Amino acid sequence: MPDNQTVELNLPSKLGYERVVIGGLAAFAKNVGSSSSRIEDLKTSVAEACINAMLHGNKGKPDARVLVAISFQESTLRISVFDEGNGFKAEPKDPDIERIIEYLDPPVGFGVFLMKRLMDKVEFNRTSNHRHEVRMTMKLTG
Amino acid sequence: MNQRSNEIKIETHGDIALLDIRGDVTAFSEPSLNSAYNSAKESRPKKILLKFEESAYINSGGIAVLIQVLAQTRRNNQKIGITGLSDHFKKVFNMVGITKFATVYPTLQDALSAMSAMS
Repeated sequence: MPDNQTVELNLPSKLGYERVVIGGLAAFAKNVGSSSSRIEDLKTSVAEACINAMLHGNKGKPDARVLVAISFQESTLRISVFDEGNGFKAEPKDPDIERIIEYLDPPVGFGVFLMKRLMDKVEFNRTSNHRHEVRMTMKLTG
Repeated sequence: MNQRSNEIKIETHGDIALLDIRGDVTAFSEPSLNSAYNSAKESRPKKILLKFEESAYINSGGIAVLIQVLAQTRRNNQKIGITGLSDHFKKVFNMVGITKFATVYPTLQDALSAMSAMS
């Protein structure tokens, strides 16, 4: 059960529904004092986590869901995105745009790359109820 | 949720083909952006300018589509400029390395002036 300050959003696993999350997340983050630039960082990071959950975690299964939990405690925003998959075998390497431009690598891996750069901390976990969790944190300063 | 395709207006400014991209830039932008680039290419422009809406939502799928366009411009020896980005997406484009291959201009007028002056 979430605590009484956690917001949960339960989404269909279809591209586009990440927009619903980032709209609500922006309102939540503004309410707890995030700056507009940090809100943009959050929106991109959480959208990417949701997209990965839909495409790679749930693998397009029509009945699968994506669960997003948002909380704020001790000046820190915590966002978890859960899918019904098994997570990574190995964390993807950073995309190399020079190799992509030369058609040597596929144009993939930008989602995790951006999450890791825009958030303060990103963790990938397997939960006890057989879900995969991407847990992101952002400390609010000033 | 329905994903709308982009409306892309093509304008010619001297040797620059301007692709004025309306709407969000996601994986669903691939057919419209490729089609617009291929149409613009017919007049053999030396330079391509991509103009986005500052309020556009751009995700990793859209970034992948844009990088594929960058790869095509490189193969065709075209210079490429980008304008209309919010401060956030200027930062994101810099992080992923798009700015190694495309120059980002603050305004459309700045982009047209600077790119017109290029040989």
